Amino acid sequence: MRYGGDNRSRLLLVTLIVTSLFLITLDMRGVPLVTGLRQGTQSVFGPFQRAASTAFTPIGNFFSDVAHLGRTRTQLASLEDQNAKLRRSLIDYKGTDAQIKQLKSILDLAGTGGYKIVSAKVISQGTSLSFSQSITIDVGANAHITRDMTVICGDGLVGVVKEVYASTSLVLLESDPAFRIGVRIAGSQEIGILSGQGTDRAVLQLLDSQSSVKKGDVLVARGSEGGKPFVPGVPVGVVTAVPNSAGLVSQLAEVKYFTHLHALSVVAVVLKAPVTDPRDALVPPKPTPTPIPTVTIFVTPTPSAPGPSALGNSPSASPTPTATKK
Amino acid sequence: MYTRRGSYTALIFLLIYAVEFVIVDQVHLPFGGFSLFLIFVLSWSALSSPEIGAIGGFFGGFLLDLAPSSNGPMGQWALILSAVGFGIAFLRYGDDSLRGSPLSLVVFVAGAVVISICAYVLLNSLFGLEVGNMRQLVRSIVGNGLWTLAIAPFVLPVASRLHRTIFETREF
Repeated sequence: MRYGGDNRSRLLLVTLIVTSLFLITLDMRGVPLVTGLRQGTQSVFGPFQRAASTAFTPIGNFFSDVAHLGRTRTQLASLEDQNAKLRRSLIDYKGTDAQIKQLKSILDLAGTGGYKIVSAKVISQGTSLSFSQSITIDVGANAHITRDMTVICGDGLVGVVKEVYASTSLVLLESDPAFRIGVRIAGSQEIGILSGQGTDRAVLQLLDSQSSVKKGDVLVARGSEGGKPFVPGVPVGVVTAVPNSAGLVSQLAEVKYFTHLHALSVVAVVLKAPVTDPRDALVPPKPTPTPIPTVTIFVTPTPSAPGPSALGNSPSASPTPTATKK
Repeated sequence: MYTRRGSYTALIFLLIYAVEFVIVDQVHLPFGGFSLFLIFVLSWSALSSPEIGAIGGFFGGFLLDLAPSSNGPMGQWALILSAVGFGIAFLRYGDDSLRGSPLSLVVFVAGAVVISICAYVLLNSLFGLEVGNMRQLVRSIVGNGLWTLAIAPFVLPVASRLHRTIFETREF
């Protein structure tokens, strides 16, 4: 039989409901007592919650991980993908940054020399199976490239266009053993022939047996008839050693190229030589040595007492250090 | 006698309330989890007379209103649990076919939990408070009901024993 309740219980229920509504009204009107009660509860339970959090967080994480196992796995895969993409972007960005720097230096060089150029990306560094040292660039006949055009980069000469295809070109590097270029020593204007050796060094042979060369001399391209295969004024390298060439017909010297041929990414093909020879305008400025301070200490004996003859003792001297910066 | 019973009941409620907010809330269970305190309060009401059920519900609701995580106005849970506590006690107390059946008690409590949460959401929307999207609400309410069905069989024996010790009027 169902309990029907009585007036007392109904009255109690109504009282409780009215009390609840009264509390709701008070709270919604913003009575501070009611708001303060919640803050009080938080104050009481806060320290216990913090303590329990330390102890139960691993358990909570375990349940959460179990519950979200599939989602976590998907998230992990997604994050790995994102990570890989970001890494690729970062590498691309670094590569682009380096290319921009190289391009800027090429434009500086071409602008100073007055060369009309077409910039190109190096798309192949040649192959170890090929005995010639060459690179492939991404411009060809479609960009009006023809054989025997000079190829430069921001540091100076790179090589010469050897073969031209529709959209690519093969460039023979200046380091190739078959590479020969007429050069001029900046300043003295002595001329010679520079021969590639297959390394980052080349050999200079001066044409005049009476002329001389010294370490640190800068070589620039002498230029060819009609600007082909070489335009004048392009920096080529610097003399690093001058061996004793007594008994030889002409003076020889070892030259280091300005261009780092193994780190090329952007180059430029010179389409048109300048109207006037830039002469030595493109010679890179000599690095200014940074002064290194050296400390010299002078020790001078100073007599601190009467002479040895007076006292009968051995001579004593107190050193006075003096520092001089040079 | 009433003071002693009321004090013991309040003490037990406070203890469960503390367990709920200090320990149970640290574990984030799927589908909204469950409220141990709500299950206990409604189980207590179900085991009591309608008057005690309503008063127990009111006190339990008032404690829930005090919880810092409660986003409704003070008295909202008290209003809901007074009515639901009275209702569940009234239904169970007066129906002989439901008395002595543990399964029916579990289902009653789970149903009461679902009704309480639905009422809370409804009142929240009436008060102009943010209630979340419908999909999330349904998931949470159904999840709570299912969790209660799973947890109530473990809570009810404890509640029944404590209730019997204090009141000695109901049996489980």
